[in-house]
Amino acid sequence: MKSITIALKDLTRSFRSTFALVFMFGIPLIVTGMFYLMFGNIKSEDTVNIAATKVVIANLDQGTTETGQLGKTIENALSGKNLSGIMEVSTVASQEQALQMVNSGSAGAAIIIPADFSKSFTDPEKTVDVSFVSDPTLTIGPQIVKSVLRQILDVYSGIKITIAEAMKQSGGMDQQQITALVQQYMAGMQFGTESSSLVDLKTPTAAPQKNMLATMVGSIMAGMMIFFAYFTGANTANSILREDEEGTLQRLFTTPTSQAEVLRGKFMAVGLTVLVQVIVLMVAARLLFGIEWGALSNLVLCVIGLVLTASSFGILACSLLKTTKQSGVIFGGLLTVTGMLGMINIFTGNPQGSPLGIVPLFTPQGWVARAVLSTMSGDSLMKILPFFLGMVVLSIVFFILGVWRFQKRFA
Amino acid sequence: MNNKKLRVSFSVLIRVGFLSIITIILFHLGSFTIVEKYIVRKYRLDLTNSALLAKREAGTLVANQKFSQKWENKKMTLAMNVQNLRKTFRNGSSVKAVDGVSFEVKTGEIFSLLGPNGAGKTTTISMLSGLLRPDNGGSEKSEILIMGQSLLSDPLAAKAMIGVVPQDIALYEDLTALENLTFWGKMYGLKGDQLKKRVGEVLDLIGLSDRAKDRVGKYSGGMKRRVNIGVALLHEPKVIYMDEPTVGIDPQSRRSILDGVLALRNQGMTVLYTTHYMEEAEELSDRIAIMDHGKIIANGTHDELIQLVGQKTKIVLTINTAAGQIVEDWKRCEGVSNLLVDESSLVLLVDDSNIVLPRLFELAAKKDVRITSVDIQEPNLETVFLHLTGRALRDA
Repeated sequence: MKSITIALKDLTRSFRSTFALVFMFGIPLIVTGMFYLMFGNIKSEDTVNIAATKVVIANLDQGTTETGQLGKTIENALSGKNLSGIMEVSTVASQEQALQMVNSGSAGAAIIIPADFSKSFTDPEKTVDVSFVSDPTLTIGPQIVKSVLRQILDVYSGIKITIAEAMKQSGGMDQQQITALVQQYMAGMQFGTESSSLVDLKTPTAAPQKNMLATMVGSIMAGMMIFFAYFTGANTANSILREDEEGTLQRLFTTPTSQAEVLRGKFMAVGLTVLVQVIVLMVAARLLFGIEWGALSNLVLCVIGLVLTASSFGILACSLLKTTKQSGVIFGGLLTVTGMLGMINIFTGNPQGSPLGIVPLFTPQGWVARAVLSTMSGDSLMKILPFFLGMVVLSIVFFILGVWRFQKRFA
Repeated sequence: MNNKKLRVSFSVLIRVGFLSIITIILFHLGSFTIVEKYIVRKYRLDLTNSALLAKREAGTLVANQKFSQKWENKKMTLAMNVQNLRKTFRNGSSVKAVDGVSFEVKTGEIFSLLGPNGAGKTTTISMLSGLLRPDNGGSEKSEILIMGQSLLSDPLAAKAMIGVVPQDIALYEDLTALENLTFWGKMYGLKGDQLKKRVGEVLDLIGLSDRAKDRVGKYSGGMKRRVNIGVALLHEPKVIYMDEPTVGIDPQSRRSILDGVLALRNQGMTVLYTTHYMEEAEELSDRIAIMDHGKIIANGTHDELIQLVGQKTKIVLTINTAAGQIVEDWKRCEGVSNLLVDESSLVLLVDDSNIVLPRLFELAAKKDVRITSVDIQEPNLETVFLHLTGRALRDA
């Protein structure tokens, strides 16, 4: 009972500290909020509010009698209404003019379609390059244009493969057959309507595509929450040293309260404070940024794992210190390094399967990050469970070491 | 959106991430200077005897009166029985902080541990509070009995009998006085209506009822000191420890504290008081134990301790030249038992000042040393300490 009184007292003190409040709630929400504002309102829309990029096309394609001017179809596709929010397309006669416009800043990107673009379709061996040039000072806009262009060219590659395959199977095609094939393909292909395509191009089945920005902001929020939860754990555990220096811990030991009860109360306070922080951040992120945290059962496991590891790691870190003056350096170093390593996938966009993907698992933050991201991406309970068990094992080890050091210290 | 765009976003994230981390570190480093602010040295205490008496008249201390009467009947019983306390600190070399300390404290008395800094008073009181465990070993076993309860074998029961007022203020500055007292009351095992009642009574007692909901951090030093004492009184302890409560405070506040201690004794409380100020021990104490180098070198009432000096008189002389010229001659002079060179004077313990003083003048004249002032003092605790250790209490 007395340990609960001690824990509640510490909780009250934590939430009366402006410094603690800023670090517990302010910074994680502000950083996530910055990204949220940078990329628009992901909660209500599925589109991105980015200014349209000025694109200049130099279509040098001379066409062929069999295929017609295929370069013109690229021009038309990019000038379509559905892309008008992303790019403003204009055309010029030469490559030099197009490059000049990018150099002068009057266009953000230039696309140069070579003269033998159409011709390459009748010759299976021939390859041509469509050039894309962009203003290096612009980042997001030209990247989107490039992405759209790549998708269109992928379709043309499909046509080229179809023609090559048909020629191979028929043992050669005359001009009429090629013309008919291309026209038949082009007629049915309206970028997305492939009902009459001669080649049925299928993409592998995958889970429904989620809002990428929501996923990104969600992972940022998760990373920030984990990162700062560990600081809260360490900072709250640091109250043991602070009370030791203020003399209140000694005073507690002079009351008819056992040492075990006092330490239990202090440890309970660490867990409670982290728990409140995590719950508040999750609810706030859901309400403010529309972040989907995943299935509740999985999420509960993640929260328990986070609270346990952050608290026990904080207790262990504090047990290594002699005074609170050391804690700035130790926490700054230890928690920043382990935090960065633990969330290397979030910070660098590195996939978990890459060689670097295993690095986070050398830190407790990494285990939590894996579990939380896995939950957010909709993985099953069975997939989360190993990470949860890993977190529990780590917490037990940290807690035993920390408690052993503290009991030795106050014995 | 493709991977390229995400990478661009992540590169921005990395920058922001690092920026926020640097901010964390800077804030974190900055936060620890706050601890320094808790060390407050200037205190005031308005827990005056008259204030306490007024409260008694108002009937708010009826419970204490009953308690006082109850213990009056057992005046001669022991509140504390301390046997053979030893403590050695090993930090590279071994330092015997407390070496075989034994004493008894009767109920309802003020018992003072008097000694210079480093004499072992705080280590002793730390053992008596249960903060340090006495060393085992030696021929005699250590024992601390408080109202008959052994602190060593049943610490929680014994701790329930004591209230400790630490030397420095030990309160939560970000909590209000009411919250502090409520919290500490719970730690002493009070709950429900009893807790509420005692917190109210103590707030009245320390005169802070009207500011009970202000945070302690906003209080003046004197107000904090009052709360600090109030915490120790919450559970109406049988014995109260006060560890050098007047160190580093102004004379007015010291006066208030001394009056407060006397008032507590008048209520029937047993007080264990540590100090290195001779005057405080003389004024407050029913009995005094003088400590030096971890041992009790004398123990008794004020008069009993003075008798240790016998008929000796303390003489303080100042001379017009360096002391070195005359010190050895005066030390050898018949009737001089101790001589101590102070900063600007010489302190002598002599058998009979009427006989010894002319001899001292004679020896000075021979060395062409002029005595510029003479102060003959009645024996006091300072004299006793000088007699027993050959050193002055304040310089030891």
